[in-house]
Amino acid sequence: MNASESRSAALAVLGKSAKELRALGDSRHLSLNDAEWAAIQAHFKAAKREPTLAEVETIAQTWSEHCKHKTFTSPIRLTEGKKTRTIKNLFQETIVAATAAVKKPWCLSVFDDNAGVVAFGKKWALAFKAETHNHPSALEPYGGAETGVGGVIRDVLGCGLGAKPVLNTDVFCFGRPDYDGALPEGAHHPKRTLRGVVAGVRDYGNRMGIPTAAGGIWFDDDYRLNPLVFCGTVGLLPQWAVKKEVKPGDLIVAAGGRTGRDGLHGATFSSANLGADAPSSAVQIGHAIAEKRVLDALLRARERKLYRSVTDCGAGGFSSAVGELGAKCGARVRLEAAPLKVSDLTGWEIWLSESQERMVFAVPPKNLKALEVVFAAEGCETAVIGEFTSTGRLHVTHGAETVVELDMKFLHKGLPRVERQATWAGTPSAKPSGGTDKKLAQALRECVGHLNVCSREWVIRQYDHEVQGGTVIKPLQGVRHDGPGDACVIWPQAATGDPTDFAGFSVSHGLNPDYGRLDPYWMALACVDEALRNLTCVGADPSRAALLDNFCWASPEDPKQLGALVRAAEGCYDAGVGYKAPFISGKDSLYNQSKDEKGRELPIPGTLLISALAPLADVRKAVTMDFKGPGNALYLIGRTNDELGGSLYHRVLGRTGGEVPKANPACALDGFKSLHAAILKGVVLSAHDLSDGGLAVAAAEMGFSGEFGCVLDLDEAARDPRIYSNETLLFSESPSRILVEVKPESEGAFLRHFGKGAKSSAVRRIGQTTANPILKVVGLDGSTIMEEPLRELKEAWQKTLPAAFA
Amino acid sequence: MSVRAMPTATHLVEVRLRPEFVDAEGASALSLLMAQGMPSLKEARVSRLYEIKGPITANQVLQAAKDLLCDPVTQEHRVVAPTAPPLNGMNFWRVEVWLKPTVSDPVGETVRDAIADMGLPRPDSVRCALVYRLAGRTSKPQLERAVARTLANPLIQRALVTEAHP
Repeated sequence: MNASESRSAALAVLGKSAKELRALGDSRHLSLNDAEWAAIQAHFKAAKREPTLAEVETIAQTWSEHCKHKTFTSPIRLTEGKKTRTIKNLFQETIVAATAAVKKPWCLSVFDDNAGVVAFGKKWALAFKAETHNHPSALEPYGGAETGVGGVIRDVLGCGLGAKPVLNTDVFCFGRPDYDGALPEGAHHPKRTLRGVVAGVRDYGNRMGIPTAAGGIWFDDDYRLNPLVFCGTVGLLPQWAVKKEVKPGDLIVAAGGRTGRDGLHGATFSSANLGADAPSSAVQIGHAIAEKRVLDALLRARERKLYRSVTDCGAGGFSSAVGELGAKCGARVRLEAAPLKVSDLTGWEIWLSESQERMVFAVPPKNLKALEVVFAAEGCETAVIGEFTSTGRLHVTHGAETVVELDMKFLHKGLPRVERQATWAGTPSAKPSGGTDKKLAQALRECVGHLNVCSREWVIRQYDHEVQGGTVIKPLQGVRHDGPGDACVIWPQAATGDPTDFAGFSVSHGLNPDYGRLDPYWMALACVDEALRNLTCVGADPSRAALLDNFCWASPEDPKQLGALVRAAEGCYDAGVGYKAPFISGKDSLYNQSKDEKGRELPIPGTLLISALAPLADVRKAVTMDFKGPGNALYLIGRTNDELGGSLYHRVLGRTGGEVPKANPACALDGFKSLHAAILKGVVLSAHDLSDGGLAVAAAEMGFSGEFGCVLDLDEAARDPRIYSNETLLFSESPSRILVEVKPESEGAFLRHFGKGAKSSAVRRIGQTTANPILKVVGLDGSTIMEEPLRELKEAWQKTLPAAFA
Repeated sequence: MSVRAMPTATHLVEVRLRPEFVDAEGASALSLLMAQGMPSLKEARVSRLYEIKGPITANQVLQAAKDLLCDPVTQEHRVVAPTAPPLNGMNFWRVEVWLKPTVSDPVGETVRDAIADMGLPRPDSVRCALVYRLAGRTSKPQLERAVARTLANPLIQRALVTEAHP
């Protein structure tokens, strides 16, 4: 600090008790715990001065759950029954370890950039990131979802030297729209949340010209106070643009939107339980057009190599963007140079504001003029707000006032690690109990009409999934374009500019919190399995799949919740290694619990979203899920076990307990690879994965989408010999199973891909398609147990969501 | 040449769908309100209100309203007085939904830039609101409660419910 500068107002923390500091933190929404306060006190005691408000705020932002993922990287003491063990760093030991174990050379950048990057052909790369925007979406569904989409798009823009977004994904978890119980003051009804969130995702994605073509919705009343909104983006960038570096002397250039008072405390806010006193400044309305301008200018500047590094202003605003870029060198920032929305902002407000649509660049001084011209041509403002230094310190001034003067090392490595306690009591009793039996036909009708299965057309039709002209396999499929697709296939020809290159990619998801209620470990395996089999069904290469993990959990301060989280993360490790699929990026959102109308804590069910991305060498070979004609053979890949625990069938009957579905990655991957080879040879007419509702729902969906019927003989299915019940065979949710339609003349060619002996035993011809649109099932005793007109099933499947919103 | 500073003024422009067109946005708002226990509401029509502040004259605002804010085929526009006269109700209601001043208004920002692009003086600020004209029997508190649950989020928006002319 120069002699002419003064330090901005100090925040007295030295000599204060833990209780006083906690009160101070609460009043300023800082979300710092006792150990963190103690570390701050110690640091400034050594520096022999009080910190400024901005310094404490910067530390709080940088150390927040949102930015540093404290729970995943701090030691955890896990008690399982009588055994106790310590996990030093859950993230490193599970997610990162799985990626290291499978060692895929096509992973170009994992975990350290804003998004994960994998190779796409020789020249290109794909960046993929998914994030949640749960707390803001609970408070203001439209703005929260909108800025969630905007934020994840900026992550992809700020990945490497910038990627062009080619696909948006959206996955939501809500309370049931027909929930009629009480809600606490200030909470929105799930129906309103859903409407607002869908509108927000729609408006931002559509206005930016990015197709929204993959996603899903899960309904469960335990999400009524804490809805989950996962937004994902895939971007395309040339491989030369994957690496970025900041050199001392580079200018810090802010571009895009102006800085205002909006969105203060978004990051620290995500580290706290949601309550009625949430600050209104934590929510914003997005400006898609402003971000589109940044996108266009950024890509043009990237082509001319005008900057050396870039990142987005997300949570924490300039403080985290500049802190991140300058972490290895140092930075000197002059806040008075930042363009402002209102003139009366104080230094710390400019430094921490989370105004949307801003990016920060590291620009060599000789390129500044050219960069300014490129951005000005798009009507996009730029400002030099400082430069990167080699001092290893973060020095921020506002006029003559020093706002922040911190050691980068303390800021990024000084976070005290607090050991947390976790317990796991074991999987609950497997014996199914309760509920009432229903007739098969009735149960099937209720299954296809269930909120978690029914048609999402009402939502999907609001999104533009065609823009950029490369959506080869669309979210709705079949002869009438209204059947449920497994995954979308994108041919990014508009971004590569090469219409003779037919390489594309597919994105899919796996999510099932109901399995997690029984055992989060098996939920993790089932989610990875579901995502991969969805990819396989459309013709993507399962051996080239890259995964994203998004954990949404309740408070990790509850040892039981944390124990379940550890179980899920360990499931991710085994799934990554077992399926030989690396994790390339991920995110966690914790503290998803709130007080309900009676003042009791309502935690969400532990939720893991697996998003998977895999390339297709030739998009013209992609396959949809609808039956293509009568008289074709139906093959079921995979073995059916008695695994009805957490199944849709049990939910419909009101039954609890049962065996949770258990995936066997080695067998599953064998089946997926064989099917993939068969699809490449062109002998597969349609393929659909068996998930919620098992074989019965999958066959019905394929039938009513293609408007052909089928006959299934349950006795032909590869199965656990102890199964004697038709219900189990029809509705069990054993993972890794896919129903495939094959032309009679290519059956031999199809089966050759599955080899001989044990390997082939899991593929069985279980029936054929018929011209009459009826789902006919022959039971284990040889008698017809079900004969349902597909038209009625489709009606039941289609009417649920529109009826809930009528 | 003398340079005279243009006085700063506040103008309000309302743009609405011509009555002969079906108002889908209004119908959707109506069904949302009716679901909040207000079955006696009969009609809802939506219009947009722009508050334009800055060194710009009433004539220039009118030009912007005509050429920029209004689609002449389906919509009509008018400049309204900043303070609406008090009105006798007779079961007609007007609900204005504004974003709170602390929340950024992207539509307003775009309109401000677009007015400047037309060659008119650049306004200091433009804020945009939605106006719902409702017909039907209800009470002000009841309507305010229903609006807070459907059309406006009190966290970021401010809803003004007044009685109005048809």
